[in-house]
Amino acid sequence: MSEKSAVLEMIYRNMYIAVLVILAVMLFVCLIRAVRGPRVADRIVAVNMMGTMVMVMIAVLSLLLKEGFLVDICLIYAMVSFLAVVVISMVYMGVYAERAQRRRQKYPQGHNREADRAGMQGTEPEKGESANGNS
Amino acid sequence: MEILEWIRLIVGGALLLCGLIIFLIELYGVFHLKYVLNRMHAAAMGDTLGISFSLVGLMVFSGLNFTTLKMMLIVIFLWFASPVSSHLLARLEVVTNENLENHCQNYAELAELEKELNREKEDEQTGGQEA
Repeated sequence: MSEKSAVLEMIYRNMYIAVLVILAVMLFVCLIRAVRGPRVADRIVAVNMMGTMVMVMIAVLSLLLKEGFLVDICLIYAMVSFLAVVVISMVYMGVYAERAQRRRQKYPQGHNREADRAGMQGTEPEKGESANGNS
Repeated sequence: MEILEWIRLIVGGALLLCGLIIFLIELYGVFHLKYVLNRMHAAAMGDTLGISFSLVGLMVFSGLNFTTLKMMLIVIFLWFASPVSSHLLARLEVVTNENLENHCQNYAELAELEKELNREKEDEQTGGQEA
């Protein structure tokens, strides 16, 4: 790598910087999706995409600065981002179940009305399961 | 040797560009599709194919050393981790969405359509045999 000519060095450097800029712009677009996403799963998907792009950015940066240890950070980032998605989805499912149970205890009639409305829309095996679980 | 360096630049640059284009397609898909379970499809493509292309391009740049091995490890880890997280997110969506049927209404129509198509095909086949 050391006997590379000056022209090649300049081309590599400019290319890395261009890739970093493009990835940064895409990261902002992802952030817009995360802010606008109507549901919680939308936001988690967008944050996951941002994590993937940040991984590529860290890998490019490690070649631009010629620092090998940044790739280790990238590996750790991948693991932490995966763990974050798993933990957030599990925690949110638990919170949702708890909230649904509290609502059921508070308004049993309102819930029955909901179940009736759901039953009117069509017959699905999932709905039967949920109705059984609620009653 | 100069030629080899240039070839490496072109091959790696092409792979990195492929990765960026796939990230762009992913973004388009995430903004184009209307529902989370559809958007997840586009997001998973970038998680596996986009980062593989980009990191293979960077591997070509960095040559044969430990950095290449670590990048390979990242790609392999993501291949295992991305389906698991997608599965968990899909389960989260299905569990917490109370009116999921509004987004999946077309399945019944599609099944009917498929049945109709099969019937038409059978009719054509029997008609062809008779003729």
